[in-house]
Amino acid sequence: MKIKKGFVLRDVCGEQVIMGEGIGALDFGRLLCLNETAAWIWKQAEKLGDFTIESLAEKLCDEYDVSEEQAKADIAAIVGEWEKVNVIE
Amino acid sequence: MGKHFFKVAGHIFSVEICDELLSQMDNYTPFAVNPVDNPIFSLAVQNEQAPRYTEETRQEEENQSIICGKTDDGLAVFDFFLYGKSTGILICSKNFKQANLYLNQDGIFAKEQTDIHSENWQHTRFALNNSLMVLYSLATATLGTVLFHAVGIKYNGRGYLFLGKSGTGKSTHARLWLKYNEGSELFNDDNPVVRLFKNENGTIHAKTYGTPWSGKTPCYKNVEMELGGFTLLSQAPFNKISPLKKISAYAALKTSISGMRWDKNIADGLHQTENGLAANIPVWYLECLPDGGAAKLCRETIVSNE
Repeated sequence: MKIKKGFVLRDVCGEQVIMGEGIGALDFGRLLCLNETAAWIWKQAEKLGDFTIESLAEKLCDEYDVSEEQAKADIAAIVGEWEKVNVIE
Repeated sequence: MGKHFFKVAGHIFSVEICDELLSQMDNYTPFAVNPVDNPIFSLAVQNEQAPRYTEETRQEEENQSIICGKTDDGLAVFDFFLYGKSTGILICSKNFKQANLYLNQDGIFAKEQTDIHSENWQHTRFALNNSLMVLYSLATATLGTVLFHAVGIKYNGRGYLFLGKSGTGKSTHARLWLKYNEGSELFNDDNPVVRLFKNENGTIHAKTYGTPWSGKTPCYKNVEMELGGFTLLSQAPFNKISPLKKISAYAALKTSISGMRWDKNIADGLHQTENGLAANIPVWYLECLPDGGAAKLCRETIVSNE
């Protein structure tokens, strides 16, 4: 999977927000607020470029004190939400 | 062809254009200035066929649309359509500082066009105004400057901008201010500019400016004033006003600014300005009827709040 072209994470008045900016993302028309962990995961996904639930779970385990199983479940939930609102493909 | 210079909200740009065409663009007259060495961008108007381009995306609104694309050489292209007809094609250099507008209209230069209301002139004005708005937005994005889609009212020496999608009643609400809030003055009916400034003590303030772009209403005032606040309008069967904070304020501002972010610098610049405005300038949400009560409620709230 990868983040769709044109979607970026920005700091809006202290909150972490995903928005559509480039060609292909102009019709998004909304702002998606992320909590701290979700924003961290988004940044890892940006760095990886092409990512999987496993590769993100691995990153999460390196950074936070969380079991592999729990990490995969958490990532799958967040990635599922991003898929639903169409910001990744 | 002569080169003419105009200053809008403190930023100077140049337009190379023939006198006949210039005489049709009286909305720019109040903004004319003497030549400078470093305009923020330069536009040249050409009566030639535009180079070929490939479409990438389009923005549509009511009777107008803009097709955006690239030439074979990778230069950015904007094709401005009015009622389904191409009125002119703008081709920009890589950094958007130089651009050519290809009018390519049969007969516009060949025949004598004395009727300024003729379709050709209407199309030419549309292409030129839109080209300059696009170039202005791009060139000033990193300079804390934003071209808004809004209606601007001056009241008590300050500027107040009304936001909302086309057809929401921004102009109607502004007309109600003129009628019911004595001392109000319309300074722009479609595209005022806002600039964000940092004071020496670190605080932030903003100014708003009249422009040569004012939609269907001829209101081309070269004025500047402190920005008092923004009000996002929404039609409702009642009148109610509430403040928007943080992300809601940011969202209200963002939807009133062109969505086209052509490169990272431009996107970053616009975001910084939007963020600074959302955090420092009052933003209100007015659900309203098209009546005098709405104009009074709005004025009592947004003006007394300062």
